Amino acid sequence: MGNIFPRWLNFLPLQVLIALGGVGTLIVAVIWYSFTPKYTRVGYEPQQPIPFDHSLHAGQLGMDCRYCHSNVEESSHSNIPNAQVCWNCHGPGKVKSDSPKLAVLRQAMDTNSDGYTGEPIRWVQIHETPDYAYFNHSAHVNRGVSCVECHGKVNEMAVVSHQKPLSMGFCLDCHRNPESRLRPIDEITNLDWTAHDLDRDEFYAYLAGKTGKSADELKAEGPEKIDQEALGAYLKDAWNIHPPQDCAACHR
Amino acid sequence: MRWFFLILFAIAVMLAVGIGPRGEKFTKPPLYVFPDMDWQYKLKFQKPSDFFADGQGARRPVDGTIPLGYDLPLTEDDFPVGDTYYRTGLFGDFYGDGMPDAVAVDEKLLMRGKERYQIYCTACHGTSGNGQGVVSKYWQIPPTANLLDPRVAGLPDGQIFWTITHGKGLMGPYNGAVPIEDRWAITAYVRVLQGAAAAK
Ligand code: HEC
Ligand code: HEC
Ligand code: HEC
Ligand code: HEC
Ligand code: HEC
Repeated sequence: MGNIFPRWLNFLPLQVLIALGGVGTLIVAVIWYSFTPKYTRVGYEPQQPIPFDHSLHAGQLGMDCRYCHSNVEESSHSNIPNAQVCWNCHGPGKVKSDSPKLAVLRQAMDTNSDGYTGEPIRWVQIHETPDYAYFNHSAHVNRGVSCVECHGKVNEMAVVSHQKPLSMGFCLDCHRNPESRLRPIDEITNLDWTAHDLDRDEFYAYLAGKTGKSADELKAEGPEKIDQEALGAYLKDAWNIHPPQDCAACHR
Repeated sequence: MRWFFLILFAIAVMLAVGIGPRGEKFTKPPLYVFPDMDWQYKLKFQKPSDFFADGQGARRPVDGTIPLGYDLPLTEDDFPVGDTYYRTGLFGDFYGDGMPDAVAVDEKLLMRGKERYQIYCTACHGTSGNGQGVVSKYWQIPPTANLLDPRVAGLPDGQIFWTITHGKGLMGPYNGAVPIEDRWAITAYVRVLQGAAAAK
């Protein structure tokens, strides 16, 4: 019997293993990197029927988010404004009423415009949780969580894009540790707010208004420096905030 | 083997370029990796629905009914019971003056009024009510009403409420965005602004 198989064949199983390992690593790397909302969703920026600019309306003109998203405090759903809201300012005789960019708005509102349909404007939804998960805006907005935590700095966006993954891990990160994100309710729609904007005296005066104690008493026992952690820990305690972590809270 | 790794490396580079970094801007709808149960056949807020003939998911109440917890319709003809002054600002055909019984004027109401005023009114009427809001400069047909003007200060409460509800001249109606209670709160706060201006 001679050698039927050449000698290099002895290494074949090893080579196959290494090759499979290489291919496997590549596949895992691709999935790990890109099959997550951090990749699939963040940066989503669909083309809208009207090039509506938040950085102009909410940033430059300083309009409050609730002028348009008026249900956000009462409802689980934050509404997209209807055409009447835009019409308040962009109707005939008002602001830029004949701008070509607003043609779709006139089709929805102005019975005299050509192509009047009366149909609602079809805005494309950007942030969307899957239907098996329950999300509630009012539960967050009235408990000191600002829009900026979940939507990014919308007041600086010319076009709204998806900035945070809004995955389950993202929700739970905050539910486990809300201290670093809570703020006074009055500042919810002030997206540029930081805890450093709070003056120490002002902070204790604010607290004094909310608790029975006087500002001086609070100052004596309160933290030296007002930073986000101190504020958050205080608010969490004062408002008795316990974000749910059980599955049934969000998957109901 | 060497060739194999070279090719693998080339594929890896191509994939890396194709995938790109996280957070890049894109306009196509995002990929749902496991789409099971992500889109269930149910009505959702502000979404169309192919179940109804008119294609809208949002439904109007059945004629002659009012859903629990909703504001009543606006005119007495539509629904002639309850405190109509509270809902319309009118006594019969005339603007009423004074706050309706259902609204207690206290600090809470005024704080609420201030907050709501600053959300819905400041853009045009200005924080102090002087008609010099940021947006008023952009209007093609000026001017925006100066709420501190003695003419406006002399209007009955009911007329201010009515104006917020229905709009006036170029001002649009705010009955959609601002519920009745808040409209009264804003009315009360406008009185505060006028008082502060008159005191100066
Ligand atoms: C003048 C009205 C107006 C104001 C004020 C406004 N928005 Fe919007 N917003 C819109 C409209 C219209 C859309 C839908 C079109 C779009 O996505 O650009 C929208 C879309 C959004 C979206 C994306 C919704 C989606 O589909 O997922 C977010 C998030 C948002 N707004 C947050 C804010 C925040 C936060 C503020 C306050 C800083 C704000 N908006 C102020 C009108 C407004
Ligand atoms: C409080 C008043 C106000 C409201 C409400 C408002 N806008 Fe505007 N909008 C403005 C002002 C002021 C400008 C700036 C005009 C200029 O630059 O001369 C503007 C500019 C625009 C422009 C750019 C127009 C152009 O030709 O450059 C678009 C588009 C627009 N708005 C869309 C909308 C839409 C859509 C809505 C409703 C969701 C809306 N606006 C609601 C005040 C408003
Ligand atoms: C805790 C996180 C969180 C906070 C805080 C938050 N949002 Fe949202 N927002 C979401 C999620 C999640 C969605 C997607 C909801 C869905 O699928 O219906 C969303 C959707 C939206 C939409 C689009 C709704 C639609 O149907 O198109 C708007 C507009 C919006 N948010 C505005 C706001 C504004 C304004 C604020 C601040 C006052 C705010 N959000 C605060 C998480 C948040
Ligand atoms: C930035 C912090 C933060 C993020 C992000 C966040 N939450 Fe919350 N969540 C809270 C806080 C604070 C509460 C209020 C807890 C309380 O009232 O005691 C809350 C409460 C809730 C509740 C209970 C509401 C109720 O009606 O009882 C649900 C459900 C919920 N969150 C779902 C979500 C989902 C889904 C997401 C992800 C899209 C999310 N949250 C992201 C902070 C957050
Ligand atoms: C704070 C709210 C919250 C809690 C608590 C929560 N989830 Fe989720 N979960 C979500 C959200 C939001 C999503 C949708 C994520 C997305 O959009 O990709 C999700 C998605 C999922 C998915 C589907 C993942 C996929 O990509 O298909 C599973 C499975 C799941 N959750 C199981 C659980 C289990 C088990 C628990 C309890 C240990 C739990 N969840 C607790 C919010 C929550």
